[in-house]
Amino acid sequence: MTTRIHPLLILFTLVVYVFLLGPLIIIFGASLSDTTYLTFPPQGLSFRWFQNIWDISAFRRTIVTSLQMAFLGTGIALVIGIPAAYALNRYRVALPAWLSTLFVLPILVPEIVIGFSLLRSVTVQAGVPVWYALLIGHTLLVIPYVIRVVSASLASFDFSIEEAAISLGSPPAKTFFTIVLPNIRSGVIAAFILSFITSINDVSVSLFLTGPGVSTLPIQLLAHMEQFFDPTIASVSVVLMLLTILVMIIVERTLGLAIVAK
Amino acid sequence: MPRFQRLALSSISAAALFAALPAGATTFTISWWGFNGDKMQEIIVNPFQEMCGCEVVFETGNNGDRLNRLAMRSGAGVDVIYLTDSYSQAGIEQGLFQPIDRAQIPNIAELYDLAQAPQGEFGPAYTVGRIGLVYDAARVDPPITSWNDLWRADLASSLSLPNITTTAGPMVVLQAGRHAGVDAYTDEEATFAALAELVPNIVTNYNTGSEMINLFSTGEISVSMTQDFTLGRLREAVPTIEWAALEDGEIAVLNTINIPTGSENVELAHQFINFVLSADIQRQLAEQGVDAPVNATVELSPEAAAAWTYGQEQIDSLQRIDYSQLNPARDRWLDRWNETFGM
Amino acid sequence: MKRLAGWMLASPATLAITFLLVIPVAITVGLSFGSPGQGDWGIVQPYADFFASGFRRNVLWRTFTVAGWVTVISLAAGLATAYVVARCPPWMKSTLIVLAVFPLLTGVVVRSFAWLVLLGREGMVNQILQATGLTDGPVAMLYTPGAVIVAMVYIFVPLMVLVLVGVLENIPEDLLQASSSLGAGPVASFFQITLPLAVPGLIVGAVLVFTASFTSYATPHLLGGTRQMMMGTFLQQRALVAFDWPGAAVVAAIMLAVIVATVLVMTRLARRLNPMAT
Repeated sequence: MTTRIHPLLILFTLVVYVFLLGPLIIIFGASLSDTTYLTFPPQGLSFRWFQNIWDISAFRRTIVTSLQMAFLGTGIALVIGIPAAYALNRYRVALPAWLSTLFVLPILVPEIVIGFSLLRSVTVQAGVPVWYALLIGHTLLVIPYVIRVVSASLASFDFSIEEAAISLGSPPAKTFFTIVLPNIRSGVIAAFILSFITSINDVSVSLFLTGPGVSTLPIQLLAHMEQFFDPTIASVSVVLMLLTILVMIIVERTLGLAIVAK
Repeated sequence: MPRFQRLALSSISAAALFAALPAGATTFTISWWGFNGDKMQEIIVNPFQEMCGCEVVFETGNNGDRLNRLAMRSGAGVDVIYLTDSYSQAGIEQGLFQPIDRAQIPNIAELYDLAQAPQGEFGPAYTVGRIGLVYDAARVDPPITSWNDLWRADLASSLSLPNITTTAGPMVVLQAGRHAGVDAYTDEEATFAALAELVPNIVTNYNTGSEMINLFSTGEISVSMTQDFTLGRLREAVPTIEWAALEDGEIAVLNTINIPTGSENVELAHQFINFVLSADIQRQLAEQGVDAPVNATVELSPEAAAAWTYGQEQIDSLQRIDYSQLNPARDRWLDRWNETFGM
Repeated sequence: MKRLAGWMLASPATLAITFLLVIPVAITVGLSFGSPGQGDWGIVQPYADFFASGFRRNVLWRTFTVAGWVTVISLAAGLATAYVVARCPPWMKSTLIVLAVFPLLTGVVVRSFAWLVLLGREGMVNQILQATGLTDGPVAMLYTPGAVIVAMVYIFVPLMVLVLVGVLENIPEDLLQASSSLGAGPVASFFQITLPLAVPGLIVGAVLVFTASFTSYATPHLLGGTRQMMMGTFLQQRALVAFDWPGAAVVAAIMLAVIVATVLVMTRLARRLNPMAT
């Protein structure tokens, strides 16, 4: 780059980054503290708060539920979202324009309003069991991300390749799996990751849809925080951060991080 | 295999793995505050799980939250529910609980009279408590001796009161009426004017006992109003906490256990109630600083008894609240309370 | 034929969103209206009640001001940071982007929790203030609007940086070179070329941050407490604690209206202000 940057601006950027990363480092430190309350710098060194995550059955349960919701919700969203994205791009002229607006509604409508509405309609009126209601909420939450990200990669796909294959006698379904899907691979993976992260971090929808014995990790974290102010929260946070780092390394290795920034 | 297919396959198999995980033995669901979670686990949950061969799961939260969620599910989802008497009264009025078969709970006969059937044919009380004031003696001087001390100017930004949506919240309003020298039920203007004078002293109001303890242990507050069962954990967090000896009296609260109409393990629920009312469990809970006993056969050492509402004589001395009057008033007060403290 | 194939493929998503989102939300909005004969205001009586209550007006106003401040501060911090990041050498740029993405992947609960620890009476910020002699005793910072704003800025700055880096990178380098070869200094170039071209991106970022902070729950719940209620926490209280569903529906409908209006107005504005548009 040719333009020089004013040193004050660089200093400011540095401050912003300290502001962004400092608190995370402090959580990391606090999770290792040997005290029963939260301190930084840590006093004494101990992994017992990490042990505690495993010892508290509510954490074990909610981690499993959170992963179930993230995997299954994202999976279902992919199964119904990819065809929708495909239809939007392939048959754009044949479909009404409002359809693509409909597909972004779950992002436009505030999550907390979705949660409240689902509680009333799905849980109370329709009597759907808690676990399934939660899955519905999580699926709904991530559908627009799937459709948008997959659409973006379909937009640059040349459908004449597909038509050529079909005119050469390849059945349409097979053509989709052998020609189209491999070409939008990176879009699908990006959609998966984005949806997975959205689902696993969700608070506002889950807040209304959790019930006895079925809760997600962020909701359990809030509940635990109301009861204890011990470093367990910090150690759960650290585990989540380490998982995040792992995900980012996998993404970086397979696709390059630019994809998440989109 | 292409990378993409491998990723897809591994995520599908991971999903299948997790989907297969729930199920298994009978699950018995308890709805309670989540307070003293570790001690409850040790004294009640672990031995009960062994006894019933079932898996115990929880719904936690404050009284109002849990009762509402139960109402939304039309009484289904949990097998027993712990509530303070003001909320179990509301639950009974909403038709959410089933009558208790007292023949299946022989231990009820050992309880003090007032605990056996505080609300007719519904659940018994498992503990009796007081609502009063606590303060950190290291930071509050002179000590708290009256409800009127809440209005002291030296307590600026050091107080947390129970929210109106908790058991003790409406009692704050009653005390404000008393402070103003009026009847809170009839003169709301003067009562809420007295409450408004409290605002400078308040840091934030709390919804659960645990939240209040956190506020003490992080030093945000030094005075609060609470039920006595929080005292044990308060002292563990901050040893200098004192239970205020109030010259103008404390308020009695009974905590009850009920079986919701939608319980799927009614027999087990009766067994559970019988179990927590047994002299042995009641004594352990009292000695560990969890709950005051209502089983009259429990003998406590003077030290253990000091923290609790203990013995016939002391129980008789507490003031009872008329919830048929207080509960409707609470709904009326909610908005004014929000206006007073939420601005 | 094409029409049929298109609909068949799009139908699962269409049905799911219609039945599980559009209809439930429509029912909620419907519930927020009263009956025609009720009160002076007929079917909008519940809204009249909402605005007649000083407390509810206050919650709405507080939500607007907090979300507004969060948006403005995040815009300023995000733009400056993105400007520097976009002009870094490639290796440094990718590192800086990774460092900005990372907090974004960490949940809102965890990131709000960090500030609960930092801003407490015995937290780091108070320790620093006292050690440097800026204050004598601990300052009560939790449960104030300031605490909510700081934590939300913390949550949304990474988002803003990522959006704006993308925007700034798309500004053609030639334009800036042309500008400096004509004698414009970096400051003049920034205000005359970069900023106008970045406006659509700034609007997108502002809409994202404003709507997310206007509707958030976890951060105001943890850092604002019961005294600094915002629309999200108030909706939760009405729905789950007070069990007042019509009241909660009014809150939900107002939130929805604010968000839809913001998005519509701002996208229109972005289109009009876009200097690249034909």
